[in-house]
Amino acid sequence: MNILEISDLTVRFGGLTAVNAVSLDIPDGEIVSVIGPNGAGKTTLFNAVTGIHEPTAGRIRFDGRETRRPFRGTTVLTLALIGLIAALSLVLVADIEPLWDAVITTNYVYQQTFPWQKTPGAAVSYFAEEPGRRFVVPFLIGGITGLAGAYAIWARTRYAPEVAARAGVARTFQNIRLFNQMTVLDNVLLGMDSRLRTRFWHAALRLPLYWRERREAEQRAVEILRFVRLDQEAHQLAENLSYGHQRRLEIARALAIQPRLLLLDEPAAGMNPAEAQELMKLIHDIRQRGVTVLLIEHHMPVVMGISDRIAVLDHGEKIAEGTPVEVRSNTRVIEAYLGKG
Amino acid sequence: MAARRTIPFHWSFLIVAALIPLIELAIPGDHHIGDLLRPIFIMAMLGLGLNILTGFTGLLNLGVAAFMAVGAYSYAILTCDIYPFRLGFWSATIITVLVGLTVGLFLGLPTIRLRGDYLAIVTLGFGEIVEDVLKNLDSITKGTQGINPLPSPSLFGYQFRPETYQPWYYLFLGFLALLVLVNRNLHRSRVGRAWISIREDELASSCMGINPMKMKLLAFALGAAQCSLAGALWASYLGSSGEPGNYDFQVSIIALCMVIVGGMGNIGGVLLGALVITGFNSIVLETLTNFLKAHQIINSSNAFTAPGNWKYMLYGLALVLMMRFRPEGLLPSKQLKAELHSPEPPTTPSS
Repeated sequence: MNILEISDLTVRFGGLTAVNAVSLDIPDGEIVSVIGPNGAGKTTLFNAVTGIHEPTAGRIRFDGRETRRPFRGTTVLTLALIGLIAALSLVLVADIEPLWDAVITTNYVYQQTFPWQKTPGAAVSYFAEEPGRRFVVPFLIGGITGLAGAYAIWARTRYAPEVAARAGVARTFQNIRLFNQMTVLDNVLLGMDSRLRTRFWHAALRLPLYWRERREAEQRAVEILRFVRLDQEAHQLAENLSYGHQRRLEIARALAIQPRLLLLDEPAAGMNPAEAQELMKLIHDIRQRGVTVLLIEHHMPVVMGISDRIAVLDHGEKIAEGTPVEVRSNTRVIEAYLGKG
Repeated sequence: MAARRTIPFHWSFLIVAALIPLIELAIPGDHHIGDLLRPIFIMAMLGLGLNILTGFTGLLNLGVAAFMAVGAYSYAILTCDIYPFRLGFWSATIITVLVGLTVGLFLGLPTIRLRGDYLAIVTLGFGEIVEDVLKNLDSITKGTQGINPLPSPSLFGYQFRPETYQPWYYLFLGFLALLVLVNRNLHRSRVGRAWISIREDELASSCMGINPMKMKLLAFALGAAQCSLAGALWASYLGSSGEPGNYDFQVSIIALCMVIVGGMGNIGGVLLGALVITGFNSIVLETLTNFLKAHQIINSSNAFTAPGNWKYMLYGLALVLMMRFRPEGLLPSKQLKAELHSPEPPTTPSS
């Protein structure tokens, strides 16, 4: 079974085609590498899978579904509700002074009990006097603006990283993007966020759920840190870690999402052979936990050592795919890396 | 890091503040330091609301005075007897906070995808719009007169009087303590973590499953609610909504100064900032002016020598010096201090 199916994916930025009609299937539980010269479109591919870039064409299916916000009945209802609120707000605000006078001021005698039962009637007769200008026009303008605005925001954030992350796609970045001024533990806890159930009122009032979940979450975070052997550094600021440790922390933070697919963008960059060896073992262990790994890497010993399959990109197109042995002897791959002889 | 446990500044601030009226009662003589502290508490609440937006989430807001104005005017409309509502202190305050929350959401929704400078410009405009609307909505807001008089609050059968300041003092201090507690709790929970992660790196944070739009809206709503609470208390303290000009750009800037001078993202820092800035204005300058006048060093005919007229220059100077020598504020959060004093960003070897 394939956990990720990329079919005919094209990503274009203006006139530049970064990824061109790439198809790639990632079977569940395997380690697959994507290699290729600089600028081949590997990171763009990752960005499309994690929802940072919207595909220009083609489809990405994760676990049988597209990783974008689904268009459901509740979406329609929410959009309609926002439109309605905007419409009514504009009706209310557009000409508030005469409305206020008609409903409140004329009915209120100083320090006498206010006849609340008269207000709906007063409002209705106010609007009935000039229904077109006082009600219909602001209602339509407000409703259309609200609906269109809400729909535009929804449509533009359909492909969003948090949607992919919540579906179970985690990633690391080529240039490490940790939260430098947060502690190591907090970085991992942040990755765990989508699995937490406390809402802000639990947190604000410190209800029992907050305490229980905080204890559990910290325990799990420490376990994950132990798994990448960073538990000794749990209370340091992330930026004070050494480079290799920062790379491992990024993996820990991604694992905290409890992903089914982990995308590693050049995890071995800048590592010495011993560290790279250690990283290979870590990636193996991650696979043992049932996480599928998709890897971008330039470090050939790592790629050849751990990949089940390798896909090769060049100029945005897939030029080869297969086992490490097949790819190594593929003439197009050799050409792409070394040039034509 | 060695766990040296000290009482955080915000708690010691509140404890000392709680003791001041008692000390004043114990010492014979006519003091009114406690009296002067009340505006500081209210400005501190405003600062705490702004701190959620600017300090935690990194959304620069130049229009918090507008939220305060919304709070003050809703409270005034709900309690003043020229309107039919005539609610009590608690119900009016609670409704005011809800109104502030809604206004925060209304401002947040359309601006949610703006960042940095652009958001600052929009909030600046929002502040000006609110001020102008209040000025021109004559039949509702009484234009430039403001809404007055407001009845003094009465709590649990006790009627507050303008002459005795102690009950007011403890009322405001209680609200401030409540806000400090709530903000601290939020700061150390998944909410605060998510806010800070958005401030540090929005893209990475959304790749970890945080929905930045939701968290920013929450920050807007909670920040605006706290600012409008400050406005409601301010109105109850003045016995009037104040005039629209009381909530102009200067107030927003002073709130921002408090957050910056105190230490962005740090609750204790905001309290200290409020104490230093508002205290400088309402205690140091007043005392200095009175002292100089009493000794006939200055006379009121010469505006140039009145210390009060120099205050914005002194604020400006203080800000310049702060930015030069202590950009993280007087009482920085550990995180921001590290950010501003790291010699250079951690280098990433290119691959």
